[in-house]
Amino acid sequence: MLSSLLFLLLNAVITCVAASTGYHERLFLRPLPQGSLLASFNFVSNETQEAFEQQNFRYFPRSFGQILQHAHARELHLRFSVGRWDAEDWGERPWNGAREGGTGVELWAWVEADNEDEAFARWLTLTNALSGLFCASMNFIDATKTIRPVMAFAPEGPHGNVANLHLLHGTLPHEVVCTENLTPFLKLLPCKGKAGISSLLDGHKLFDASFQTMAIDVRPVCDGAGTDCSVEMEQTVDMVLNVARSKRPQNNPIPRPLPIDQLECDTSKPYNSGDSCYPLKKSTEPSWTLEEVFGRPLKGACPLTEETGDAAHTACIQTEPERTVNANTTGEYTEMKVGSDTIRCYKLPTGSDFDLVLPEQQLTTGLVRPSPPLFAARSINGHGQERGSTQSIIRNPSTTNTVEFVYLESLPWFMKPYLHTLRARLDTTSASPIKETYYRPAIDRKRGTHLELLMTIPPNSTLTLTYDFEKAILRYTEYPPDANRGFDAAPAVIRVLSPNTGDRKGMYIRTTSLLLPLPTPDFSMPYNVIILTSTVMALGFGNIFNLLVRRFVGADEVPVGAGGLKGLVMGKVGRLRALVGM
Amino acid sequence: MPLDTEHKLLIFAAAAAVRLVLPAVFPTFPDLLTGRVEVSTPVTSFKRLQEGVFLYTHNVSPYDGGVYHQAPLLLPLFSLLPDPSTYPLATNILYTVVDLLSANAIGQIADSGQNVATRLFTSSRKHLTWSSIAIATGYLFNPFTVATCLARSTSALSNLFILTAMAKAAHGASTTFILALAFAAYLSMHPILLFPPLLVLLYDTRATKTQSKPNVWTFAIAHTLGLAVAIGALLSASAFITGSWDFLAATYGVRLLLPDLTPNVGLWWYFFIEMFDSFREFFLGVFWLHAASYVPGLTIRLHKQPLFVACTLTGVFAIFTPYPSIADAALYLSLVPLFRHLFPLMRYSFLASAAILYASVLGPAFYHLWIYAGSGNANFFYAITLVWSLGLSIILGDSMYAALRDELDVERPELQGKEVRRI
Repeated sequence: MLSSLLFLLLNAVITCVAASTGYHERLFLRPLPQGSLLASFNFVSNETQEAFEQQNFRYFPRSFGQILQHAHARELHLRFSVGRWDAEDWGERPWNGAREGGTGVELWAWVEADNEDEAFARWLTLTNALSGLFCASMNFIDATKTIRPVMAFAPEGPHGNVANLHLLHGTLPHEVVCTENLTPFLKLLPCKGKAGISSLLDGHKLFDASFQTMAIDVRPVCDGAGTDCSVEMEQTVDMVLNVARSKRPQNNPIPRPLPIDQLECDTSKPYNSGDSCYPLKKSTEPSWTLEEVFGRPLKGACPLTEETGDAAHTACIQTEPERTVNANTTGEYTEMKVGSDTIRCYKLPTGSDFDLVLPEQQLTTGLVRPSPPLFAARSINGHGQERGSTQSIIRNPSTTNTVEFVYLESLPWFMKPYLHTLRARLDTTSASPIKETYYRPAIDRKRGTHLELLMTIPPNSTLTLTYDFEKAILRYTEYPPDANRGFDAAPAVIRVLSPNTGDRKGMYIRTTSLLLPLPTPDFSMPYNVIILTSTVMALGFGNIFNLLVRRFVGADEVPVGAGGLKGLVMGKVGRLRALVGM
Repeated sequence: MPLDTEHKLLIFAAAAAVRLVLPAVFPTFPDLLTGRVEVSTPVTSFKRLQEGVFLYTHNVSPYDGGVYHQAPLLLPLFSLLPDPSTYPLATNILYTVVDLLSANAIGQIADSGQNVATRLFTSSRKHLTWSSIAIATGYLFNPFTVATCLARSTSALSNLFILTAMAKAAHGASTTFILALAFAAYLSMHPILLFPPLLVLLYDTRATKTQSKPNVWTFAIAHTLGLAVAIGALLSASAFITGSWDFLAATYGVRLLLPDLTPNVGLWWYFFIEMFDSFREFFLGVFWLHAASYVPGLTIRLHKQPLFVACTLTGVFAIFTPYPSIADAALYLSLVPLFRHLFPLMRYSFLASAAILYASVLGPAFYHLWIYAGSGNANFFYAITLVWSLGLSIILGDSMYAALRDELDVERPELQGKEVRRI
């Protein structure tokens, strides 16, 4: 009960930001178990539909807006992610997973076009332009990595002419997200990471996090009547930092063992000698400050955010009410408490640094962590580089609710699944959980596999989904330089349909990506192979055609002297003589 | 010949028992064989066939995908059978019957006597033959044939139709010959190349039977038209079943252009993995021309022994087609004993059989080292496929030498047993 109440409050705090116009930002901090800290950054820029169409950009970044207009993208979702959300320990995902992406880069968009070919051409334009803008390899999202999901995604904004909208979805699970993607991401913000909460975003810390996802979502937003529309761009960064790891000083980042006298040992245990130590399990919450954890100070408020009201309180932290949180600044700030004091929000001072200081503290109460609707894990079974099978285990922890969801897999073409081996088993009933199947098989070098399943899990059950696949062997030029590392298969996307969240964003869960080792040829051998194979073929051909074009005579009938080098030379000489008439 | 019939029944029953008892005693054995690259190729694999049937019965076009590359008429046939993963017996019985029919056909070929005495040529060693039962036994108990049958590879079906076409041609039955060859060509495309030698064979047997020579041109044109009509009918029926002509690109297109480079015992896969992209099309053309070039050469030079030409061509297919498997080798190696009378003239039989045995033993081992153990690389298995192809091509060349030498002995009896030279 408490958890759902908190969740509603949290949503209220966040959605009040999204509903108004202009520019808003909010940082939401939530300590997680085992010394982790979730930091959710959210930046929303709005532009009216007319201003957007006239290219009259104020908060909306011009570079990005022009790409969208050029590619006729009406709604766009872009994700850069690293790491795995540990749902068992951390509970529900931020934004119900709606602002999360699969490992690497994930992009999906509703493109307006008259037919599928035009939509695909515009999609390629879009991926190429975004690739340049974000310094990512999105230009490699070609036909083999693009699918057209039918059930797994729904548009978040209201769209008029749905018939002309084409949903395209592409993933790059191998893409390594790094600082070069963060810099253009921050450039799109009105304050460009110089002020406001975005000044905390530092590549060293962001990409050192246990889990991080950067999201860009563009969607149309209309008021209740559907007349006053605007284009909303939401930029989100979610990161889970390990507090102890983040607090390591930059100049000494390698963890070194402490001297024995500084170790905190469990003195209740017997020791043989003075050089051993059982670590004392700490029950206190670690101390941290914003500057320690993010590696740089928060440089005051972004001047474009509102001066008053809820939206002006841009930095929020959710902790137990008894936890001491001190604000450390030379400027003026205000504090606001919501959600029975569990959420504290701060209005940042303008022009001076701001810091939150949390001392080490023994807590007697705890916050209830909401549990996610499903737990999902996916892995590859089997050994060898020839074939294998995929196993997804999806668990419904609820004791009362049946969960209905869509399971989407987008596999590369060289991983060839056998659909006739697809088995979905529930541990509680023998009924098939699969209600609907959409399957589009891969074609070599032309497109990837697209599998969507509509399934239901009864309460307190575990669903096991398995299928066999075969690994293709590629041409040697199709392997990347690190061929023996293997190839990445994109994460499965799970969209929970019921129980639903009530908003249009939906509820999503993503599994991790899979590493798929393929058989490799010997890359140093092209000339040798061409020569050796040709030799064997020439032996066969020569042997047979030699027999076919010659005739047999007795060994004693062969003209004497005609053979050998001498005979050859004599013959030539004779012919030459005849030619010159001697 | 009641004793012969009794023998034949006994041997066929024993062969059927082996094929039905082995999977019953070792239930995982057929699936293990199905997964072996030496037995199942992308164009004959039973697992891919199952996938195709599954998609077909669920109204997804199996040809709109990269897995199924086999003939469309197999789909309704296998969708009638119960699911092989739960009731394997029905499929096993079907494949056993296919093998027994093939053995019967090979027996008929041996009975026709066309292997030693044709219309234009009678070997001087024509009494040196094995009985049809012995040859059928050789086919049925050839480990390669048994493995193909247990792996339920669809090349067992094309082998049946190739053997039936040969048997019917050797007995002068035009219609059934055309139908059988049309089915063989429909299932695996390259048997169409057997048409010229088998047409000569059919002409010879018809001429011997009726004691009159039909006009060569009308005979050839009538049968070519008949074959075209039969293949056209099969293709139209396929298009009717699948609802489009997409299957052409997914079946014959794949055999021609080799997009799927799954390892097999042939020479193509590694060559085209390692081939430079700009030369790929050129070498595809060269390789196909090379495989086809044997047909006119052999047919013209050995036109007196058309059955020998047809058998030699099956050997060529086992080496030089893009997706050969041990099923093709099994077909050729079972046809070689028809020419028992040539064995005394062969010079490298020990070398060739040693190479084949060596490759059969080390092939699976080296594949395991490459794919599973990781202690070898692709070159290990590639080297073995080279040895395998070399061994088969030695048998091929050696038997051709023997056949030509045999012809020479008839043409010039005075050279019998003497050393000869080729000029």
